Amino acid sequence: MTEALTITNLVKRFGGLTATNDLSFTVADGESVGLIGPNGAGKTTVFSQIMGEHRQTSGSIKLYGEEITPLPTARRIRHGVSRTYQVPRPFAELSVAENIRVGLMHDNVWQMVLHGPDPDRELELALSVGFTEDDLKRTPAELSMGDLRKLEMARTMATGPKVMLLDEVFAGLTVGEIAQIGELIQQMRGDGMTFLIVSHDLKALEPLVERAIAINYGELIAEGSFARVIENEAVRASYLGDTV
Amino acid sequence: MGLRWYHFALWGAFIVGLALLPELVSKGTLRTIIFANYLAIFAISWDVLSGRTGYISFGHPFLIGIGAYTTAILTKRFDVPVEISIPVAVVVTMIGGLIVLLPALRVRGSYFAMITLAFMELMYQLVQVIRPDLTGGTRGMSGLPTLTRGAVNGFYLSAFLMVSVALSMWLLMRTRLGTALSAIGMNEESVRGSGLSATKLKMVAFLLSAAIAGLGGAFYVHYLGTIAPRALFEINFAFTIIVAALIGGASTIVGPVIGAFFLTLLLEYLRPVLPGAERYLIYGGVALLLYMYQPRGIYEIIQQGLARVRRSS
Ligand SMILES: Nc1ncnc2c1ncn2[C@@H]1O[C@H](COP(=O)(O)OP(=O)(O)OP(=O)(O)O)[C@@H](O)[C@H]1O
Ligand SMILES: [Mg+2]
Repeated sequence: MTEALTITNLVKRFGGLTATNDLSFTVADGESVGLIGPNGAGKTTVFSQIMGEHRQTSGSIKLYGEEITPLPTARRIRHGVSRTYQVPRPFAELSVAENIRVGLMHDNVWQMVLHGPDPDRELELALSVGFTEDDLKRTPAELSMGDLRKLEMARTMATGPKVMLLDEVFAGLTVGEIAQIGELIQQMRGDGMTFLIVSHDLKALEPLVERAIAINYGELIAEGSFARVIENEAVRASYLGDTV
Repeated sequence: MGLRWYHFALWGAFIVGLALLPELVSKGTLRTIIFANYLAIFAISWDVLSGRTGYISFGHPFLIGIGAYTTAILTKRFDVPVEISIPVAVVVTMIGGLIVLLPALRVRGSYFAMITLAFMELMYQLVQVIRPDLTGGTRGMSGLPTLTRGAVNGFYLSAFLMVSVALSMWLLMRTRLGTALSAIGMNEESVRGSGLSATKLKMVAFLLSAAIAGLGGAFYVHYLGTIAPRALFEINFAFTIIVAALIGGASTIVGPVIGAFFLTLLLEYLRPVLPGAERYLIYGGVALLLYMYQPRGIYEIIQQGLARVRRSS
């Protein structure tokens, strides 16, 4: 089986705080894996290191066998990995269509100038996350949290990833929206997309993943089938105070 | 690019209006409008970089100065013809500006503004002490070759330049490049997170801005026939450029043109009433009021007005 993402002995220190502690795991091509852990466990920090937004203190990150740690974020995205943010980060004064347009652009200035946008593809992406055609003209200020997450998802998909890292895609969504995003993820899994999904909503996460990885204090504490991982003593203990 | 019939109509009307202007106004007013044209070019230059990406430059006179001094020195000291010296000035402004300011493009917010301001000051000091035999030192230079004779021709040249710059930048900023550059101003991390190199985009914005500043600066000295460092590297000049762009409407290209005309004419018509520096107080006040009323500038006020007319008709 091809390894899509290979993380080996990853360490990240913020001053005295160790946010990622000798973490190693892999995600196979086409696989969907849940990354769980209580607040502050270091899930988001793992994503930021994979994307190169934070430089790891030490350790290696490979994408389809190629070391990506020396690459800047934009190059990593071109290599096929892309993420959503826990706190959506839209372009505040651009419309939904334009937000997606930025995600669709290739990092080539001549192309940006000489080729116009692709409204069909923008619409297709918007519809796939559950927007309507009328939503294309709206700006982020007019969107609900659920809509902002959908936009985040659409812009991430627009970059054409092979591996998608989803950070708390369900937070702040209505039951209907959770079902809709869940369905989208299932559909993309069917099309061969590889996922690493962080979610506090374990019920929503369970059907979407083949496997789970639990971390606490930046350290791996359990790995295996979803059911086994959430039954694990250490995992349950780590979530005390949180709701499982 | 989404061009509509009224875009053609408005640009056409603007160009025709400019072409007829020498028939309609006095030579004195025409001279004022020549200044407005150059100010518009500088404000567009500022807009392409700062209005779009949010990297606020307080040192645009620095870029304008590189262009102006390059062509002044080449023509005056080395008898280089302007056909060569002006393109050289543009390239030198781009390269010179880039070498100096590329590191500064890594730092956001007030740091970038401070660094650009510092370079303007530094340039002011340098042209006075380094090789004054070339730069003319504190006094600057005079007797530079002029390209046109009389107010009418000077006006046509400046208007042609301004319209060319405005139209080309307006078109360019309507492409996806313009969208990407605005996105930097809104959220640079998300631009990176969309797979685009923010550094490269900022560099493109900077090079465009520098090219326009260099072009404007070079033509402007050949209009004046003189170059005076004290007037050029002056904080008031830097502010005038920024205020023109802001009250006109940043990140719109058309706005800075409107702003430049508005400011220049305002200053001019205040002159008989308030001959001294108080004029700047009034202009500061007007700018502030306008900005409080509509932070997106006159351009937005006009757009809203047009929208209202369209709705009611
Ligand atoms: N830029 C930073 N500087 C210093 N400390 C940081 C930084 N980013 C994260 N941390 C710390 O690293 C630890 C892990 O944070 P992280 O955001 O990765 O956790 P998380 O698992 O995503 O939590 P949550 O479930 O709340 O999103 C926390 O203790 C956090 O305070
Ligand atoms: Mg997090």
